[in-house]
Amino acid sequence: MSTSAQEILGVSRREGRRLMELWWQRMTEAAQTGHPTAYVFVMAPLSELLLTFDFVINAPEITSLQTAIRGQSQAYIQLAEDYGFSPDICGYVKADVGVQLKEGEHPYGRVPRPALVVTNNVCNTYLKWAEFWEHYYGCPVFTFDLPGWRGRESLREGTEAFRETFENDCRYVLGQLRELIEVCERITGKSFDIDRFREHLREANRMAELYHAVCDTNRHIPAPFNAPLEGVTYQGIANLYRGTPEGTRYFELALEEMRERVRLGMAAVPDERFRLVLVGTACYSHFRRFVELFSSWGGVFVHSTYMVFAGGGFVPGFGYDLGRPLESFAEQMVRATYWGWTGAMFYQQEWLDRVVRDWKVDGICFHGVKSCRTTSTGLPDVREWMRVQRNVPGLFIQSDLVDPRLWSDAQIKNRVDAFFEALAAHKAAVGR
Amino acid sequence: MLVAGIDVGATYTKVVLCDDGQVVGRSLLPTGFNFARAAERGLSAALESAGLRREDVGYVAATGYGRHMVPFRDLALTDLTAQAWAIHRLYPDARTILDIGGQNVKAIRVDERGRVRAFRLNDKCAAGSGAFLEKTMRYMGYTAADIARLAEAAQDPAVVSSVCAVFAESEVINHLVAGRSPEDVCAGAIVALAGRAGQLVKRLRGEPRYVLTGGLTRVPLMRRCLEQDLRVSFVVPPDEEGVYAAALGAAQLAQERLRRTAQRATA
Repeated sequence: MSTSAQEILGVSRREGRRLMELWWQRMTEAAQTGHPTAYVFVMAPLSELLLTFDFVINAPEITSLQTAIRGQSQAYIQLAEDYGFSPDICGYVKADVGVQLKEGEHPYGRVPRPALVVTNNVCNTYLKWAEFWEHYYGCPVFTFDLPGWRGRESLREGTEAFRETFENDCRYVLGQLRELIEVCERITGKSFDIDRFREHLREANRMAELYHAVCDTNRHIPAPFNAPLEGVTYQGIANLYRGTPEGTRYFELALEEMRERVRLGMAAVPDERFRLVLVGTACYSHFRRFVELFSSWGGVFVHSTYMVFAGGGFVPGFGYDLGRPLESFAEQMVRATYWGWTGAMFYQQEWLDRVVRDWKVDGICFHGVKSCRTTSTGLPDVREWMRVQRNVPGLFIQSDLVDPRLWSDAQIKNRVDAFFEALAAHKAAVGR
Repeated sequence: MLVAGIDVGATYTKVVLCDDGQVVGRSLLPTGFNFARAAERGLSAALESAGLRREDVGYVAATGYGRHMVPFRDLALTDLTAQAWAIHRLYPDARTILDIGGQNVKAIRVDERGRVRAFRLNDKCAAGSGAFLEKTMRYMGYTAADIARLAEAAQDPAVVSSVCAVFAESEVINHLVAGRSPEDVCAGAIVALAGRAGQLVKRLRGEPRYVLTGGLTRVPLMRRCLEQDLRVSFVVPPDEEGVYAAALGAAQLAQERLRRTAQRATA
């Protein structure tokens, strides 16, 4: 193996760690200095616009997830429940509330107070989550009303009905963007610099291409990366460094590494036997265990819906038109809402159908999240559709995003083992 | 060669010994908290029943929740696969198996070769499992052995509607305080349990022929409730074979594996 090959292998993990540490450093400094911080969500992060005003970006879904990866989410969740939150409420919300109640103290650093919260209606819980910060800090909250997918027929691209709906939706979102710009100017005292904004869009265009190219490397057999494992870093960088040269550089390196792994035939899971898609998230309080339950059978996740709806909302084939930045930004938000955020959550069978074919998938794991009805509703229907229409076996397991109390190892292991025993027979029967 | 199938369940450990496809011994003992010891004790009891010795056993297949805790196993497989295998050999036309065990309720759909095509399990909550019924009996001063007798003597089953085992227990207490008989409460708990187990079969889109297995096959009311709810007929394997189905399937799969190994060696 050449020196350059040795250097590139593992670079996405090393660089990912470095960038996440750098982000925490910026967050902690902002907490100390009072530098304006904007809270955003992974569905509609708006980083390109907010970076134009020099906001530090905080994505609380990511900080909550990290409390679980560090094995500390339960303490934060219980703090939120002591405060009055019900056990049924989203684990991400409660882990974050716990962090806020501890004045931003987090295993990785300190979370700054919000100078601005930008929320949206793609997830109902986002609205209530933002309400908490508004009450707790008295900070301004800007709520985006994003028009989602209204059914396949009304939004069939290429039709007159689609064109009219899409144009109306873009105008609606553009109006809201202009309102948000005024709010940002008021908070930061800075004027909107459209040329700076254009530069962030240029970087985001490049990053989007690279993000999709990285995902595409997993079409190769064996798959060079495991979607929940490496994917969680990709998602983090795609949200927190979206529209920045650092983010673009990261995905250049990640792509280089994955191509090198493909060239060398390096598998994410040694002796790959089963290629899977994960619908939903992993359980981050048992992250390694979650992945190991599958990899111990030679199962690799070649893709996940989470990489789509929480991966920055990069719409395949879409690039910002730098000649009309704001209008194009609105269009991207509408398209991402149709395709990535509401589409990938509620009309999964179309996306899954394509991924099963193109990524040569043997089976699908549906992970129902007990504290999230938004992502869990409809999973059994999609599983049934894929089984009946496409003869693709599906496994349904339930636990949580970050709440370790909802993980039942023996139950989950039994289901996973039985799934693989059946999948082996199925693969033999269909001749794969 | 003598092979052993050991099903280390959450409540009971079942062992079946097979020699050339014939069952030559079996045992059923409470599992307790030590899975490895339960497997050892179960195997010893089965060997004793058959008049055989430990060194006669050439291969051990472990299944059930405690399968990975059996230190002397040659093979570990899930109880779903093992059960499907055994039931297919008993009833080749069986397509849906409903197993109601101590902690787990399983609905399994199998194909014409006895392979698992789909399955549904109860979730983390134990309200739909045999453990809930045992707990109810204990609360009323009875044991699991009294379930069938009590249920058959019921006049008017009490309604137990909760989907949570803890809340269901409160309902049971309320019924007793209100003067309902233990017979009616026992029958009510079975009706509730059958409702939840039946739901798994509905979700699975079960197909005939239906087979009922697990410890609760000993309770005729359970079968009647399921048949009424699902409007299908269930076959219950005779001679308690339904209770031993997973252990039997494990033993049969062990023999199958030995047969294939021998075939490869001679080829």
